[in-house]
Amino acid sequence: MIRAFLSGMKVHVVMFSRNPFDLSGVVLWPVLYASIAYYLLDSKDNPRLLLAASLGAAVMLMWSLVVIGSSNALENQRWLGTLELLVAAPVPFATVIAPITVASGFVGAYALLATLAWGTLLFHVPLVIEQPLAFAAAIPACILAIGMLGLVMASTFVLYRAAFSLGISLQYPVWIASGLLVPLSVLPSFVGKVGWFLGPYWGFRGIREAALGGTPWPDIGVSVGISLAYLVVGSVCLRAFVHVARRTGSLKLT
Amino acid sequence: MAAIEVEGLCRTYRSRTGIVRRRRAEVHALRGITFEVAEGELFGLLGPNGAGKTTTIKILTTLLLPSSGSARVLGFDPARDPGSVRQRIGHVFGGDRGLYDRLSALDNLRYFGDLYRVPVREKRQRIDELLELVGLRGRERERVETYSRGMRQRLHIARGLLHDPDVLFLDEPTIGLDPVGARELRETIAQLREQGKTVLLTTHYMYEADELCQRIAVINGGEIVASGTPAELKARVLDRTVIEIETFGVEEQTMARLRAVDGVVTVGSETREQALVLLVQSRVGVELVPTLLRELDGTHVGKVVTREPTLEDAYVELVQA
Repeated sequence: MIRAFLSGMKVHVVMFSRNPFDLSGVVLWPVLYASIAYYLLDSKDNPRLLLAASLGAAVMLMWSLVVIGSSNALENQRWLGTLELLVAAPVPFATVIAPITVASGFVGAYALLATLAWGTLLFHVPLVIEQPLAFAAAIPACILAIGMLGLVMASTFVLYRAAFSLGISLQYPVWIASGLLVPLSVLPSFVGKVGWFLGPYWGFRGIREAALGGTPWPDIGVSVGISLAYLVVGSVCLRAFVHVARRTGSLKLT
Repeated sequence: MAAIEVEGLCRTYRSRTGIVRRRRAEVHALRGITFEVAEGELFGLLGPNGAGKTTTIKILTTLLLPSSGSARVLGFDPARDPGSVRQRIGHVFGGDRGLYDRLSALDNLRYFGDLYRVPVREKRQRIDELLELVGLRGRERERVETYSRGMRQRLHIARGLLHDPDVLFLDEPTIGLDPVGARELRETIAQLREQGKTVLLTTHYMYEADELCQRIAVINGGEIVASGTPAELKARVLDRTVIEIETFGVEEQTMARLRAVDGVVTVGSETREQALVLLVQSRVGVELVPTLLRELDGTHVGKVVTREPTLEDAYVELVQA
């Protein structure tokens, strides 16, 4: 299973790297998101706020790349005619799908670092990390959280042809509920409670706390715990949805 | 024990149409088919488009659940125990889809090798052997998007054989191939038969089934209408003579008049380049050519050939019945 997982990740990263359109997006988007963080908040005089905004923008981009990347990858499996072959493989289907979302997470991690780097280069965002060790741990924890949330959502993509459209529509709710777009304190209290159930919310908190100084480890721990829960939920959902697709005969609909 | 056992298999597809007035539609793709494939046998499932061939293969390869009836592959139920079936079967379908175009053939095979749990130590050797078998040695590092359709199809076969399955399902593997590519692929399939693999092949090419299959089941409208060896199926029409009449368009009333001629069993037609060739089956010993030409008076007629029936004639009769 581990071999199938690693092999799947390699395949999907290579597939992604050989699509000029995807590649150009990954190069341009970090510049765009770094600009948004800088100009939207107009927080030149508050370096901590500027860094927090840049981090938020970077994680927003990471989530977008994961949800769009994985939904696009799944829709591509239909167009390529490989979805049926993946379902018919003897390894558990989650082992086939998880690499797609985690590979997107790695591309997202690059985008996160690129957004921060562009912010520093172009807008002089002070990239001073208070707790480098915790920061280094928070990033993979956040990738895992985003990748596993992507896995849960990917299970629905197996059922629907329009996976890409569905993926696009899932961007904003997670941005908002995870406090990436605007602070949760300015939103109705129930939105914050929704965020508690989202791994990316805790992952982002871990990154922010590590960068700005605070107590990141509990957030990182919760993020990893929720990711594991997502893995279980995602695997169960995938099994159930593949069963539904076998019953309705919708695996090959392109 | 038979490698594949199918009994009373039914599959109905349900769909809904309309936005305001929702209507349910049902398509009965399989209507209780029954057949068996022995171990080491190359069995052909022959039928026109929409007959139910692919639906049967999908159920047997665990991709679709039957509405009723039962199936067993090597003793395992594909509906209830898909994991046991998947490890033991290979599945190859026709057309140029089902591969990662932006990867090389080698990368495709390595990935599917991992998905099918081919042990690391064996994987490299197995891939080498299969590239040799399907004639892609030397081209394995090129991206699949640069491959011809025939090369893709042969790569499909290699992918389906990676884990050395006991049973191989080939769903119209030569569809869309040029004659040379199709012949090469048939040679590969014949080699599989010699290796003792159990193969279930679906096709709508008669000569392919005749050349490769030990037994054939003809499926039409979701039902098996005949089964047996190619010789047994041909024997169904051995008491016939086939008269091929080349025309350039015939009206339906003329066709009806031909069917009504005493001694005519069936009248079919097929397009060959610019011509419409009428295929008239008649009883042996009855000289019908002059009568038929009389009925075709006023129609532009080219060559007229009388010949013995083939498996294709038996198939056409079964399907048109």
